[in-house]
Order: sequence, then structure tokens, then C-alpha cells
Amino acid sequence: MADDQAAGQTILVVGGGISGLTTAVEAAEVGYSVLLVEREPHLGGRVAQHYQYFPKLCSPSCGLEINYQRIKNNPRIRVLTLAEVEDIQGTDGQYTVRIRQHPRFVSDRCTACGECAKACTVEVADPFNFGQGRAKAIRASHPMAFPNHYFMESAYAGSAEAQTLVALCPVGAIDPGMTATVLEEQVGSVVWATGWQPYDAEKIQPYGFGRHANVSTNMRFERLANVFGPTGGRLTRPSDGKEVKRIAFIQCAGSRDHNHLPYCSRVCCLASMKQATYVREQFPDAQVTVYYIDLRAMDRYEGFQKQVEADPGITWIKSKPARIDEDPRSGDPIVIGENTLTGVRYADAYDMVVLATGMEPNSATTARVPAKGVAYDEYGFVVKGGQVLSTGCTATPLDVAGAVQASTAVALKAIQAATRRG
Amino acid sequence: MAYDLSFARDVYKHSEMGHWIKMCKQCGVCAGSCPFGPHWEYSPRQLFQMVRGGKKEEVLKSHSMWMCTSCYNCIVRCPRGLPITHIVHGLARYASVKGYADPDQVTNRFATRIFWTNIVSTGRVGEAMLTMRLYFVDGLAAGIKQGLEMKDSALGMLMAKRLNPIPFRGKIKGFAGFEAMLAKARELEEKREAGA
Amino acid sequence: MEAKKIGCYICTGCGIGEALNVAALEKVSSKEQKIPVTRTHPFLCGTEGIALIRQDMANEGVNALLIAACSHRVKTDEFQFDTPLLDRVDLRDKVLWVQEVAGDKTAKEDLQMAAADYLRMGSVKLKKMNAPDPFQDDGFSKDVLVVGGGVAGLTAAREVAATGYRAILVEKSGVLGGMVARMHKVSPTTAPYRVLEENPVAGLVAAVEGESRITVHRNATIEKTQGAPGLFDVTINSGGTVTTQRVGSIILTTGYNLYDPAKLDKKLGHGVSADVVTSLEFEEMAKAGKIVRKSDGQPAKRVLFALCAGQRDKNHLEYCSAACCTYSLKHALYLLEQDAEASAYVLFQEMRTPGQMEEFYRRVQEEGGVIIKGDVEKVEKASGGGLNVSITDKLLRGQEGLAVDLLVLATGMISSVDTVDPNNPSPVGQVAEEAAKYVLNLDYRQGRSMPELKWGFPDSHFICFPYETRRTGIYAAGPARRPMGIAESMTDATGAALKAIQVVESVTRGAAVHPRSGDLSYPSFRREGCTQCKRCTEECPFGAINEDDKGNPLFNPTRCRRCGTCMGACPQKIISFANYSVDMIGSMLKEVEVPPADDEKPRILVFACVNDAMPALDMVGQQRGRLSPYIRIIPLRCMGSMNLVWIADAMSSGFDGILLMGCRHGDDYQCHNVRGSALAETRLSKVSETLDRLQLESDRVKMVEVNIMDADQLPKVINDFAAQIASLDPNPYKEF
Repeated sequence: MADDQAAGQTILVVGGGISGLTTAVEAAEVGYSVLLVEREPHLGGRVAQHYQYFPKLCSPSCGLEINYQRIKNNPRIRVLTLAEVEDIQGTDGQYTVRIRQHPRFVSDRCTACGECAKACTVEVADPFNFGQGRAKAIRASHPMAFPNHYFMESAYAGSAEAQTLVALCPVGAIDPGMTATVLEEQVGSVVWATGWQPYDAEKIQPYGFGRHANVSTNMRFERLANVFGPTGGRLTRPSDGKEVKRIAFIQCAGSRDHNHLPYCSRVCCLASMKQATYVREQFPDAQVTVYYIDLRAMDRYEGFQKQVEADPGITWIKSKPARIDEDPRSGDPIVIGENTLTGVRYADAYDMVVLATGMEPNSATTARVPAKGVAYDEYGFVVKGGQVLSTGCTATPLDVAGAVQASTAVALKAIQAATRRG
Repeated sequence: MAYDLSFARDVYKHSEMGHWIKMCKQCGVCAGSCPFGPHWEYSPRQLFQMVRGGKKEEVLKSHSMWMCTSCYNCIVRCPRGLPITHIVHGLARYASVKGYADPDQVTNRFATRIFWTNIVSTGRVGEAMLTMRLYFVDGLAAGIKQGLEMKDSALGMLMAKRLNPIPFRGKIKGFAGFEAMLAKARELEEKREAGA
Repeated sequence: MEAKKIGCYICTGCGIGEALNVAALEKVSSKEQKIPVTRTHPFLCGTEGIALIRQDMANEGVNALLIAACSHRVKTDEFQFDTPLLDRVDLRDKVLWVQEVAGDKTAKEDLQMAAADYLRMGSVKLKKMNAPDPFQDDGFSKDVLVVGGGVAGLTAAREVAATGYRAILVEKSGVLGGMVARMHKVSPTTAPYRVLEENPVAGLVAAVEGESRITVHRNATIEKTQGAPGLFDVTINSGGTVTTQRVGSIILTTGYNLYDPAKLDKKLGHGVSADVVTSLEFEEMAKAGKIVRKSDGQPAKRVLFALCAGQRDKNHLEYCSAACCTYSLKHALYLLEQDAEASAYVLFQEMRTPGQMEEFYRRVQEEGGVIIKGDVEKVEKASGGGLNVSITDKLLRGQEGLAVDLLVLATGMISSVDTVDPNNPSPVGQVAEEAAKYVLNLDYRQGRSMPELKWGFPDSHFICFPYETRRTGIYAAGPARRPMGIAESMTDATGAALKAIQVVESVTRGAAVHPRSGDLSYPSFRREGCTQCKRCTEECPFGAINEDDKGNPLFNPTRCRRCGTCMGACPQKIISFANYSVDMIGSMLKEVEVPPADDEKPRILVFACVNDAMPALDMVGQQRGRLSPYIRIIPLRCMGSMNLVWIADAMSSGFDGILLMGCRHGDDYQCHNVRGSALAETRLSKVSETLDRLQLESDRVKMVEVNIMDADQLPKVINDFAAQIASLDPNPYKEF
């Protein structure tokens, strides 16, 4: 900043996914202080749950690692995990925010040695894997988790076993008696970057998710493909562990649909193309079918579409399937609909069907902005121009590059807002 | 020349719910959802694009829109919220009004000759007469044959009290009101068809 | 500078104390390595452990820290001290967690040997490490040059100024506003996403012209760009007046050129009649107030908008221009707003209206716009004026004919930034041809143009770090960087403004920008040793090094991203950083104790990229994977910094094998320094000469691509290599 006194201002960034991380490091590297607040135990958000990025088919951890290095090397960034912003008062340049810090039950002393998890006998359905597979009630979310500290499920903290872990921890990091604390912070500007959740596929009744075991979703499939996921990276189906060699991807499962999410979630076409490559790489004899309305591989992503289209093992059917039945004997899902380019009706059986579910902004549900003067569109995305700045999928469905771009931009707006005296 | 919009615009204006045809994005979910789908020459989606494409003859002479059983699957699933069932019924009516509908098309015949005369005379449907007239419309032999084929279903429906074997006589209570409703509906329909 | 006094702190927590003979390690530190202060602590990262270190710094004069505990990637907050001289020796994650701890005597011996070697290497590293002296210059400028005065450029200049910095805006034409100035309205950018919005150009121009921090040069081109971030000297020819301006950073917002419609496939009908127009021509008609048949001036009643004209097509533009679907829907709306009874047909291949633009798509259909999926096959002049267009109709499944007044072709965007494919410096076909010649005229050894990523676009890290180009301090935004629409361009320009400000602030502090943000080291060069081989100037992925007339390298420290590729390239070993040098790594590997051949304990040196391979190795540890106890890992800033002399050094020191773990290279490269791992591979291809000279088998040295998530495969990769090395005779140089 041209005048140094303004650089003393702190920018609050809410949400530690790729958008919030980017906003935080970009602003901090200009010279501003940043308070980054994440409600999960670790940073990384949705991207950390992905196996690979399109179009380069590379691991999200690679870019996250650089961002984590940037945080570690930058004393201007303060990170709070398991924390939520409850209240925002004030105007640009002078906000007072109230932050609830949920108990982690494990202090910063934790060295992630893993002794506690080894001793813990209680498991929960692993939320990081969308309930696929089990996880210890005290753990790190995943091997790349940052900050590299364990956390304990709050339901477990009250158990007798949790007490026994206290003495077991070699560094005395475990404290099941930890309680929530409330902090009040003064900040110059606020950026809301709370991201999205996958649309609840059970609401798409005709597709049978929740009723048919082998109907899954794109985000669940990301975890299946991941070597640290519930199947160790093997693409097998839930009902019987059979290798997934005939698989269908159904686009716009919930998106572009006035019964669900009326907008397009932008990334799902590319995500399914990418996931088709997972299958084809693991099983060279696999057959993949993609059912779509329009293939939306915008700008240079078109090259990726061309690359995937060149694979003869992938079939493309322009059709929004009407419903999915289940073969009661084999458990095969049967996709039923009309091919709009041939007019032919189909009923095709697969080992597994993946619903390309869309993005629902958390700002519509569990992460409303606790401030006055924030406007939302009819879908729950935060509309520009209100008191609080927003970025990433809080404003519109975005791919990673788009989210980084928007978040770099919002970092500048946050600097401007922080140095503006309201 | 295709895509002359004069036909489409007439449909948008004068066919019941016809203006919704503009909104179809051709995803095909209606076609796959229709239990009678395999028997349609054109799925709703295809009909809609044909309307927009100016394919007047093909659309109006088609039997497709007479196939709808009003199960509403398509309406429930249409991502653009098109009231497809109503649009399709509207197109059938439109074809009738424009003189394109084949009077011997089975649904048309059932709807306009059998069902309609049955219901307007009394104010309610007499299942026994309706069934008889439907079965015997193609002559005595065909009627007996069809009746025998369906006797198990008929018995089932009787047992379930879904079919009253005794022909309904007389008129429903408030028949005048019923007639007034019909008259109002006719007036509204004529108004729309005239393009007011 | 005060003398270096090293303190070595060995943590005995996390099982280290139980598994290792710590007293022996202390001896390695104090006796063998002669480290003046050597201490152990049972929980070094805890408050007391940290206090112990701080006390020594305060009372004992310790100013360089060797922390022998866990991975350098963890406990970074705790192990942060007021000294740049710090090294982490990873006894836990890379020794205890990957070797047999409760094994037999041999296993215990191997464990202890590994720990001792890592301690030795760390100790030597710290001895060779100097505190970086940040690069400073009296002439640093924080002003930002914005090249291109369209919507993106205007936005960038406005945002730079709104943050308190000065901007210089250079526009080649006489008016500001670029392409968008020729447009009528813009597609919706906000809720309810149904209403066309006013053209933003007038407002932006007023804001820019009314801002004292912005200087605008119209009719101006850039004749030369010399220097480096903070120190760019830009020669601007402003309507014949030539001046040189010092700026800190540059934003490239020169926008796009439209694909030449004359090059389109004949069947699209361009040139058949005046009534075949481009989207921009249609836009201009709408702006002028009347949409007419160009041929006879009659009002247009029926218009076919054909999308993807010369796009998504390997014979033309292979990519999608992203904005044309929405753009053409807007055009359909113009027509329907002029005449509700008009016929607007949108002929698409894939309708791409992402996000909330789906609602705009609905709106256009609501107004009567007709969508058709298909392609134009033939265009003919109609007898009564207008056109007869034959199309393949994919939804009606047949050939159809349309009578229209206008056919509007949505042609694609080509970046107007001149780029070169760094691997193939010849012009890249039509793309380079269309680009304006030399927008910046860079005075760089590696050429006047921006290095290309793909299809003539100048960025370098497409997914995670989209603003990064390979020319530090120069950021492209808007359609110059990637095809995009107006609203996105404005966001993009704002982001580029941040990067432009960030780089000048970093440069002022002497700090590096991405990916080694904040790094204060930079390469220094021992001129008298240079043989003018030019490898450093050719290989630097960021073009940081120029040459003088004699071929000596001229370093531009503020262009440098600190990857060390120059250091790796230099056969004379004369390029080094204060805290990273050929000598440092060479000394480290020489410090490893190589057991005699009879012991049958081979030694394998692993060079691992610090960004991807090292985290992957950490994860192997977390998973308690088993790695050969014979490996010794040295992290490198980037594989690009790998100097071949280390291979010779390692072989002559008795290592039996060398494994290099770098990032994926090629089109989908993952190297954060773009070319580092590719360059290392090229260098290695010449290593067989070295090995031949030493009369060693060439398969003793191997390079593998390691992805950060390869933890599951790494044990196999490493152990297979170890087994392969074990099957060879021991390195005969062990005996020397």
C-alpha cells in the first residue's frame, strides 16, 4: 500500500478452500495481515477431496502444498480452524466480528504421531469420504491435512475411552474437556468464501440415489478414485465390490433443473470427462457412457473434451435420462431415456451410475453471512455490492482456475475496503 | 422453408399452454419418462421442436399427442417446468379444431364420442356404459372378444369397487352448475382459440 | 556480520529417543561435526523445547539452528526463530517412520546410520549456509503499466489507482474502450440474470480520465520493454513522442482479435452476400440503433445466429471462446427487442451458458428465440434479398432450409499478445499471424514475445496459479490471457492488478514472488569463471538472465523466481545462492558415510523435489510405508537446480545408485517452475558420458516422475531401484 499505516489492517477471510486460501495468501503477500477462518478441522475445502483436477489430471495437493508453504512462510497469516464467524458489525475499515472457536479436543502440541488413533476403538462414517468407509473418532482428515494436528469428534470427547487417551498421548495434547470459546476481532474488511456443498442426490427421486446401491455421485466417486479413499483407489461398486467396467455418468443431475438447482454448475461436464479417464486408466477394457444435455467445456477446456472424446471407450448420448431402475438380481442400475439425436429410447444396464450432481452454495444453507445488508440471488449465491465481499462459489459456480482468478481479484477489493474508512 | 414461426406462434397463442413450447431445451427427459413412449411416433420433445420448426402438417396429423395418459411423469421431471401433459392435450385439441385430427384415432374417438357424451349427459361417468361403448365401437364381434379378454380385469375392478355394474341413471346433484361450468369453460376456450 | 554459531537440537520425542542411540548422535554433532552447542530435548516443539532454543540464542550466541526432529513441513509455526539460518533434520518422518524400528541388530544399525548421515548432511548444509542479503536498488518504482485500454485495461488501471498506486495506461488507438466500446449492451452480470445491462465503457473511461493517479497515452505503442520488476524501463511512443518510463510491473490487457471470417469454411457463406456478418458487425448495427439487411437496408425480420464459427475445430481455432453462446443469445434479444415479431434462431453445437447464465438462456427463449442444434451446410443469396441457409438439424434429424435476412457468424477470440512456443520458437501458425506484432517488445535474451502456454495464450499455470506467466512481473488479463466475456475480464483485470501491486511490494522487500514467495535469496555469479556457454541464459524458465555482448550472463534478480535452474545448468559451478549452492549439496552428499563394499550396505542418493516428491515421502512416513534403509534423501528446490557435478560427486563418493524424483513434465507439466524437471531430464541424458568415464553402469542413475499423491507407489519405486542397485556390483569407488 502506498501509505504504510493502512497496511496494519487485517482482512478476515471466511472459508479455507481454494478460494479463501487464495484470497488469504494473495492479500498477505501484498503486505496485509489476514485472519483465515475455516469451520472444518483442516484447510483445503472441496478441492482437497478431489483425486485429480481437469484438464491436467494432476493432484490438487500439488497446488495446495504451495499454498500451505506460502502460509507457513508468511507470519501475516493467522489460521483458525474449527471456527465459524457468528456476527459481523461495522463498515469498511472497521468491522467487529465474533468468531466461535469449536473445541478440537487436541491442542497445537499434537505432533500427528498417530498413537491416539491407534488406540481409539470408536469409528464414525468418514465425512471426508462422504460416509463411504469408516474413520477413527480421533484423527486427521486425510494424509495431506493442514494444519497437521489431529482433532476429536465431539460426540467421542465425552466417552470414557477419550479420557484414557489423555495419558496415552506422549506430548499431552489431548483434552476432552476443551470447550468452545468466542473471540472478538477487529478487521478492516471481510471476504466470504464458504464455497459449496454437493447437491443432495436423494432429492432427485427418479435417479434412485439412496435406494439403488450402485447409483453414486461425482464427489463420492472422487473419493473412490483416491488412493487414500475408502477403497484405496480401486474403482469398485458399493453393492458387491465388483470392478466398475460399465459405467454411466449422468450430467445435470440436479443442475439446470427448476425442480432442483436452476443454474448450471459449470464444472460437472468436465468433472465427468475427467472421471471417465479414471475408469479408462484403471480398466482399459471398461466402457463409459456419458448422458448429457450440452457438453460445457468452456474456453481452453475444449481441448480436454477433444482429448477425452478421442477415446473410443467412451460413448456420448445427448439425453437427460428419465429415470434409473435397478435390476433386482444383479444390482445393476438401468438407465432409461431417449437419445435426442436418434430419437431412440434406451434402457441400458451398468455396473455403476455416477450422478454429476451440482454445486449448492453454502451461503444458501449452512453459511449465511451474519451481517446486515447482504443480498442473495434466488439460489442463495451472494450478490455483489453488499457490505461483505464474496468470492469463489459463494458468488457463482466456478472451476478452480476461475475461483483462483476471482479470489485474487477479491483480495484487492478487500485491501481497498480495509483501507477505506467508512 | 423450415422454422417459419407462423405456425409456432399460432400454437403459442391458441393452443392450451402452447406458449410453453418456446421454453423446451430439448433434453429428452419427457420422452424417457412416458410409459407410452415406445408407441409415440414423436416424443413431446420432438413435437415441440417440430412446432418451432414449422412442421405443421406432420405435427397436426400425428397421432402422438393423442397417446398421453396423463400420468404426469413428464411434468414432474421436466427441468424447465413445462406442463407437458397439458401442452400435449392442448395440441390434440388444436389439431381437432383445425380439422387435422383423424376422427377414428382411438383416443380421439374415445374422448370425443364415448367419454364426452357419457359424462355430459349425466354429470358423471357411468363406467358400465362407458366400457360397453368402448368395447363395441368396432362392432359386435370385436366387442365380445375384447370383453372376454378383459374379464379378469373387470372382475378385479368390480371387487375393488372401481367399477359400478349398474348404469348410472338420472343426473348428478347440481347438474345446472355442472352445465354452467362447461359453458364457462367452452367460452374461455373459444376466446383463447379466437386469439383474444 | 557476526560469526556463525550453530546450535544442534535433537528431539527425543515421537519415539526418536527410544529407537536411536541419541548419545551417539550427540557425538556426531559435537565431536565429529564440531557443533559448539548440542542439546537434546524430549519434546522440542513444546513450549520448553522452544524456550531452550531461544535461551541459547539469547545467552549462548547461537544464531544458526539445526533442528533434528521431524519433517520440515510440520511444526513450522513452532520452529520459527529470528534467524534465517535454520535447517531441519528429519529423524522421524524419513527415518523412524519408514524403517524397521523394532528390528534386529542390522536393522537397528541401519536406522542409526541413516539418522547419523542426515545429521551430518544437515550440519554441513548449515555450515555452508549464509543469510541471504535481499536485493535492493534505489530506483525501484511501484507504478504499474497497463497495456491495452479496453474494458480489462481500464478496469486494471482503475483498480491499481483505487488501491493508491499510480498507473500508466497505454492504448494503441485514439480512443479508450477497445472491443466493448463497439458494443451495444452487455449480458446480465447480476441477479436476476435476465436484463441486459448498460455498456460499462463510458463509466470506466470517465473513472480513468477523472483519476489523477492514472496517466493515459492514446495512439501509443511500446517500442521497448527493458529491465525487470521494479525496474522496468518502458519506451512509449505516444503519437510520435517517445518517452521512457520506469515502472514496477506490467499488466497486459490487449484483448483479442477476432478470427478472420474470410478464413472460415466456405459453407458458412462469408462473402456470399453482405447479409452474412460477424457477431461484432451485428453488435455494431444494434449499437447504431437499427438491425437491417446489409444488402438493401431493409429491417431484419429473420436472423440466424450461427455459433462456433471456426471454433472448436482443428482447422481453425481448436478452443471455445467461452463467451459467444451468451453473446449470441444477447444478439437474439436485441433483435426481439427491436421487433417482437421477428424470428431469432440460435444455431448451436453445445449451448454453453454456465452458472446463472442459464437463466438468461431461459429469458431469450421466453422472448421467442428459437434454438436449433446443428450446423450450417450451405448459404445462398435469396432472390428477393436475404439468404437461403441449409442446415443439418440434429434435433429434427434432417436437412432443413431457412430463409433469413441475416446470417450472423460467431467467430472466435485470438489473444492479441504475441507469444512464442518456448520449445518451438517459430511462429505458431495462424495464431501468431493474427496477433499484433510485439506488444511489449521485451528486451529479453529469450525473445521479444511472451512464452506461450497453448494456442497463443501467454500464461503458465493454468489451474492453480492462473496469473503466473513466465515473465515475472508481467501479468496478462482478460481475453489476452484466456477467452472470456466482459464481466469475467473485469474480474480478471482486478486480479491482475493485485498481482501487479504484489510484485512491486515484494520486489521492494527483496522478496521473490510465486512459487517461492518471500524467498530473499537470489543467485550470485562468479564472473571470472564463466565460459560464456549460455546454458543459464537459455534455460532459465523465466527468462531472468540476459547476456552482454560477450555472452556473459546479466542477472536480473527481480525477474528471478529462485528455482536454481541456472545453478543446475552451470557446468562451471559459478552460480549460487547464499543459502543454496552446488558446493552445499555436493558437500552434503560427501558427508554421508559410505560403508565398505564388504558390509553389503549399498548407498543410494535420492534427489527429491521439495514441492512434490518431499511431501509424497512425508506421506509414506505417515502411512508407515517401508523404504530401503540404504537411501539418503536430499531435497532440491526444483529438479531444474540439479547440477550434473553432483552425479559425479556421488559416484566418486561411493554411492551405488542415484534416484531423482521430479515432477511430471510435458504438456501437462506439474513443475512449479515450468521447465525444471524437463531440463533435469535433458541434462541426465548426458550423464552416461560421466558414468562411462567412471566406467560405471548407466542404470545406476535413474529419474522418475513423482506426483505428490504417489505415496502408495513410492515404496515400490524406491525399493525396486534399491533392489536393482543391490544386484549390481558395489560401486568400485567406495574403496578410494
